[in-house]
Amino acid sequence: MNNKDMYILGIESSCDETSASIVKNGTEEIATVISSQIDIHKDYGGVVPEIASRHHVKNITIVLEECLTKANMTMDDIDAIAITYGPGLIGSLLIGLEAAKTLAWLYQKPLIPVHHIAGHIYANSLVRPLQFPLLALVVSGGHTELVEMTKHYKFKKLGGTLDDAIGECYDKVARVIGLEYPGGPKVDKLAQVGKDSYKLPIPLHDDSYNFSFSGLKSAVINLAHNIEQRGEELNKEDLATSFQNVAVESVVSKTKKAIEDKNIKYLIVAGGVAANKGLRTAIEKLAQDENIEVSIPPMKYCTDNATMIAAAGYYAYLDGRIADLTLNSTSSANLE
Amino acid sequence: MILYIDTSSNFLYTGIVDNNKLIAEIKKEFGHNLSEAALPEIVSMFEENKISPKDIDKIIVVNGPGSFTGIRIGITIAKVYAWSLNIPITTITSLEAMAISKEEDIPKVPIIDARRGYCYAAIFNSDNKEILKPSYLTYEELQKELDKIENYIVITNDEEKLKVTHQNTTTYTPNILEVVNCFKTKKEINPHAINPEYLKLTEAEENKKNDSTN
Repeated sequence: MNNKDMYILGIESSCDETSASIVKNGTEEIATVISSQIDIHKDYGGVVPEIASRHHVKNITIVLEECLTKANMTMDDIDAIAITYGPGLIGSLLIGLEAAKTLAWLYQKPLIPVHHIAGHIYANSLVRPLQFPLLALVVSGGHTELVEMTKHYKFKKLGGTLDDAIGECYDKVARVIGLEYPGGPKVDKLAQVGKDSYKLPIPLHDDSYNFSFSGLKSAVINLAHNIEQRGEELNKEDLATSFQNVAVESVVSKTKKAIEDKNIKYLIVAGGVAANKGLRTAIEKLAQDENIEVSIPPMKYCTDNATMIAAAGYYAYLDGRIADLTLNSTSSANLE
Repeated sequence: MILYIDTSSNFLYTGIVDNNKLIAEIKKEFGHNLSEAALPEIVSMFEENKISPKDIDKIIVVNGPGSFTGIRIGITIAKVYAWSLNIPITTITSLEAMAISKEEDIPKVPIIDARRGYCYAAIFNSDNKEILKPSYLTYEELQKELDKIENYIVITNDEEKLKVTHQNTTTYTPNILEVVNCFKTKKEINPHAINPEYLKLTEAEENKKNDSTN
């Protein structure tokens, strides 16, 4: 096995992106195709699960074919199939899962189940090799988690959000400010020019590694409501800055605590919110203060994609994680 | 050899027809476990009969109406299969399969309950020619259609939920050989274009449509 290169076809359909990718030896991207539904869900102010499922089934073979064509490969060149089995939207996950199971049967290839968060973490291995022990901060529209890894494919969840994910909170705040879905990146942009003038509570300021964003979300909604009641005008830039400072501080303080407690020398940031400028700046400063290395993958590997699933799939395979055709998807899979 | 797949209800109905003979079939109720079980069941049907996936010359898949998630399971398996091994594929609606499976000398009315006073239904004559095309409609609307025909038989597995008059009723189990024979010459469809026929917008789309018309 060590003498031979391994090409893994990854498939990802956990939310509103249908994606297929071929990755060599868990580190080298050969070809990736992502069909995003963002323009469709924009009209509804968020992802509508049934609409997402309908588009996945419509797109799945087109995405697979484009990926193979781009790689100039056929299914016979593929050594194994890696599939996101969860967590995510159950109806969406099922499309990728059935496609992966069908291909695994037709071509008699190993089927590798990959946890979506493992995928986000292994997006980093497409940039440079992971170094252990490491701490992974996973921040996205569906996740806010701190995960410790002592070796390949061994995950220990230190903490996570008790309610909303950070990206979800960003999108809600964007809606309060009147920004179109997905508003998270737009809030980040406004936050670059505003002043920290509104007072908001730092959420879950405790000794755990957990997060909570629903209180912060409510505080922003109430603040905007009160300003409106008083007949005053809301300063959108200032609200964005005030909110971002608190949200980032919450994430960074828990990350700092984990780095110090666990004596971590290598930090990975992953997930769509890793593109957030405010967070990136704060994390870079933290890394300097703590004298540790930090890796944030390029944007294309931060948002949902099958490249990261194929990369994680390689290490899952080396760890012996092969599923049979009864594999099912689950909306709330456990990483450990 | 022709492979038939229907996952549009709580049941998995699948079979293989070779030379006008049904050589294998599965009719099993799975409910919520359909996503887990459908493919392994199909695979075991192939293995038990020593059939290789490449032996199949055509796939006929039911594209709905019925359970949204259920339909997508069968459609995904079928379209990935047809696309990757380059096998001709065509679709049939669940309501047509229901009508063809019953030989009757009066019009046939397949009905699937769709909750909240709605159903999926169609009307076929005794030769399986369409009188009312597969539709998503209220029971009142269906009743109006039924009032136009004198005598008919309802084919359904949802009898206790029906809100239309029906003297003659029969339950549905597919006659896979008959369905395949009726559809084996139907024109093939590009696998990329194989999609469920939901006959119904999603709730979000429905609300949006109502908002814009109000």
